[in-house]
Amino acid sequence: MNSILFLILRRLRRPIITIIVSFSIAIIGLTVMPGLDDQGKPWHMSIFQAFYVISYTATTIGFGEVPYPYSQAQRLWMTLSIYLTVIPWFYAIGKIITLIQDPSLRKIIISDRFASNVRLLQEPFYILCSYGETACLLAKALDNKGIRVVVIEPIQERLNELELRDTQNIILSLCADAKVPENLIQAGIHHPLCKGVVTLTDSDDVNLSVAIAVKLMNPDLPVLARAERQDIAANMASFGTDLIINPYTLFGDQLAMRVHAIGTYILQEWLTDVPGDTIPPPAFPPIGNWIVCGYGRFGKSVVQNLKQENITTTIIEANPQLTDCEICITGSGTEAITLLEAGVLDAVGIVAGTNNDINNLSIVMTAKELNPKLFVVARKNKRDNEVLFKKFNADITMQISDIIAHECLAHMVSPLLAQFLALTRNLSNQWANALISQLVEKVGEEVPETWGVTINAKNAPAVTELLNKSMHVQLENLTQDPHNRNQRLDVVALMIVRNQNSMLLPDANLRLAVDDCILFCGRPNAKFAMPLVLNNTKRLTFMIDGIEIFDSWIWRWLKQR
Amino acid sequence: MNLEKVVFGFFIVLAMTLNFGFFLGDIDNPSHHHVYELYAAIIVSLIATVLKFGDRTHLGAILLSTSLAADLQLITAAILWAALEGRMEMQSLTVYIVSLSGGALMANFISVILLIAETISQRR
Repeated sequence: MNSILFLILRRLRRPIITIIVSFSIAIIGLTVMPGLDDQGKPWHMSIFQAFYVISYTATTIGFGEVPYPYSQAQRLWMTLSIYLTVIPWFYAIGKIITLIQDPSLRKIIISDRFASNVRLLQEPFYILCSYGETACLLAKALDNKGIRVVVIEPIQERLNELELRDTQNIILSLCADAKVPENLIQAGIHHPLCKGVVTLTDSDDVNLSVAIAVKLMNPDLPVLARAERQDIAANMASFGTDLIINPYTLFGDQLAMRVHAIGTYILQEWLTDVPGDTIPPPAFPPIGNWIVCGYGRFGKSVVQNLKQENITTTIIEANPQLTDCEICITGSGTEAITLLEAGVLDAVGIVAGTNNDINNLSIVMTAKELNPKLFVVARKNKRDNEVLFKKFNADITMQISDIIAHECLAHMVSPLLAQFLALTRNLSNQWANALISQLVEKVGEEVPETWGVTINAKNAPAVTELLNKSMHVQLENLTQDPHNRNQRLDVVALMIVRNQNSMLLPDANLRLAVDDCILFCGRPNAKFAMPLVLNNTKRLTFMIDGIEIFDSWIWRWLKQR
Repeated sequence: MNLEKVVFGFFIVLAMTLNFGFFLGDIDNPSHHHVYELYAAIIVSLIATVLKFGDRTHLGAILLSTSLAADLQLITAAILWAALEGRMEMQSLTVYIVSLSGGALMANFISVILLIAETISQRR
């Protein structure tokens, strides 16, 4: 702000001096001009009176001739003064207005205001280094969960979109390039409440430079970065990027998960979606021979994962040399001949995974015509083509933005959630199905809130106090409704972590210990009710044994008698 | 030779000399202190202040602050003069005004010393 003030003052030097000089000449002249007072005696204006008269004349307010009607000489000087002072006055005003509208100055003012707004943030927040499709989804989900978001985006139109959106909290945004470290500092990477930086642009180079910059300037700050190329991902990992997301590998994993453990897949999607949404029932990919069109990064990941599920694949690739494809049918897959050659009539599924949306649509449409029972997986590259893909309605439409957003959310909402999801991947489908039915029974079909609770003096003072008095607090006590002891909150404890050991779906009778971390999942009202029990000792003891503690010493003494 | 420096130095020195001219004389004798001299001192002091705007060096900042101190006292003196003229004895009013201008003189004096110090430290 300081520098802006000086910049304005420096630019205004000339207009201000012009005003001072013209006013001073006009004032001095007016005091010299002879006049007559109401009794006809010779009279000269004092400097103060002249200043008053010139001030209202120059600003074109014009109160008239005060205190006495002017003499001819005074009128003559006033005429001159009007031209002498009014013009510099407008010149100065015009200069100030131009200065305010000056684009470079506006830019400085905006980025200064942004930086000071970020400095004033009192809640934990994440920095998003772009506002593309993915970041847009992510910002919405985080905002829904009550986590603040700061956005840096080089394209102003996208920010306009952001400004028009309805959000719970104001999303601070700056139109700037995240590659410039100065902008990252302004966005608050040194802020004590900054929880992490998320860089999800579709350019690996930008993501890489942001990740490096953040890790250099604030090594403890978590960085979530998207990387599509293996070498970039390895590079990012080498300097400690906390989460590296490759959307193609992720989709391959998810496709495999759908084939062998649909329950686990639903659980993952459900826990990482935006709270309040409902998730459509997912399609179940069949087992048999699959055709994969396009053997790029996406196709490779799909083929590899399908192989692990013992599904045979036939690859169609237009450019086998370029993609290191050993056994494949050469062609784009858009013509019926190529598809027939690949055995589309006997196949159970087809994956259209080229980087061209129109080709992908053409592939799946031709294939579906040849074999209407095919299970169709289509890759969508561009957001603009959403309407076309919706119209076609493939069994699975691969949307990079969705996949990345879900993965990020799992890590951002609570580190416990990411840990929990990683554990569930190794468990059986039956287990996941059982958990889903238990969750649906408790919290309904809408996407629930998930949150972590750490039992320590800061986050759960009441529980810690009782535990330090060697009293027993059971997990069950935390899930009781603080307003009605006999009712339970709509909440399920998913996992408890004690001394680095994690326990999935802990028993309700489990006795809590200090430094336990518990992952809960439940309705929003349960999330808001729980702190009452965690923070209020009186309420917690009432939950445990149904006895009110009296606040006053006299009552407690009487009770003891 | 730099015309900008000439103008800058001229106004700072003129602000001090005019101020000194007004200050000179018996403190309670109105005929020793002319109103136009105070007027000129204020105008020149204001111009000197504006000329110092935007100089981001440390010395520039100090020069600006001394100038602002001088302006404040001179303008206060002018307001007193305009407001209290005819309401109180001219002799005691003059004492107020001249002592305020004496304060401004000190500030202007420091301005000039800083200007000299800067000039001497220039090794060209």
